[in-house]
Amino acid sequence: MNKFTSFTIVFVSLLAVGIGYLAANSKLETTQTAQKDLAADVTDADHTVGSSTARVTLVEYGDFQCPACALYYPLVEQVRKGYGDNLRLVFRQFPLRTNHKNAQPAAEASEAAALQGKFWEMHGLLYEHQTDWSDAADPKTFFTQYAASLALDLNKFSSDMASDAVKARIERDVVSGNSSGVNGTPSFYLNGKKIQSPKSPGEFKNLIDQAFNASS
Amino acid sequence: MPVPRWWVYLFVVISILGFLDATFLAVKHISGGVIPCTITAGCEKVTTSSYATVAGIPVALLGALYYFSIFFLSLVYLSSGKPILFKLFTHGSIIGVVASFWFVYVQLFILHALCIYCLFSAATSTALFILALLMVRVSRANQRSMDMS
Repeated sequence: MNKFTSFTIVFVSLLAVGIGYLAANSKLETTQTAQKDLAADVTDADHTVGSSTARVTLVEYGDFQCPACALYYPLVEQVRKGYGDNLRLVFRQFPLRTNHKNAQPAAEASEAAALQGKFWEMHGLLYEHQTDWSDAADPKTFFTQYAASLALDLNKFSSDMASDAVKARIERDVVSGNSSGVNGTPSFYLNGKKIQSPKSPGEFKNLIDQAFNASS
Repeated sequence: MPVPRWWVYLFVVISILGFLDATFLAVKHISGGVIPCTITAGCEKVTTSSYATVAGIPVALLGALYYFSIFFLSLVYLSSGKPILFKLFTHGSIIGVVASFWFVYVQLFILHALCIYCLFSAATSTALFILALLMVRVSRANQRSMDMS
């Protein structure tokens, strides 16, 4: 191998290392928008888990078809279990309908389950089995299976999924998300303040601990 | 050399661009962790889809390996002029163009989302293939005229 050849190979390899470093440390989407606060307070109409007197409230705007949301699901569960009644978790619908064709029906399925008191159970099933129904031509067959496994009244589930009330319920969350500056999913708000999505349970815990300290 | 030397230089340069682009995507895939879903469709949808891996291996990594091989072969050919290398990198470029056509198809008709970095890769593969096609044709024509004389 002559000098030119070896020099070029070394040069290109260094260039690749540089690009790799850049890729690892930058965000693909650089949509830096102003961090807004939560525009709509948590009410009884929200899907909540944990005590209403909890010192820390974590609100998630999520899309059941978003792979990132599904990745965060076990993280959120872990954090929620760790804090017990000291933390209240709220889920709000933010289906990204333009990208995810089954996000809206999935949101409808979760709302229909909520009307039979099983929102969180359906929420878990949707995230756990996301890859099964994401690209399905008829996702409803999957949702009906989940509803059956939760022993829901399937006739009611089906009619609720198609109801205007459920659509309006989802729309309300989307509207509050838009006014809260949600620009992607998942978006988390800790005691009303938008946070950068944490990368690990440890980081999540730190942020929540900070919120605890700030609230006391 | 059976083809103009600068054609091979051009081939080397394009393969470097393809290699760097694929490296970027591969590192992004491996290190990226969680890419949030955003309102505008794009790379997140393409690079997190089930089509982004083959048997658990990120296709971007395979792409980087492909471009590096093509780059290496064409570069060494520049200095050594060995016909076997010429054959390898020109014929090898078929792999890239076939893979690119498949991925553009997936983006357009299955995912309905386009990723600019992936499209750039498709463009480099196609350019390499066209260049290789030209080189093979010209080298064959030269071969024939040499045989006749």
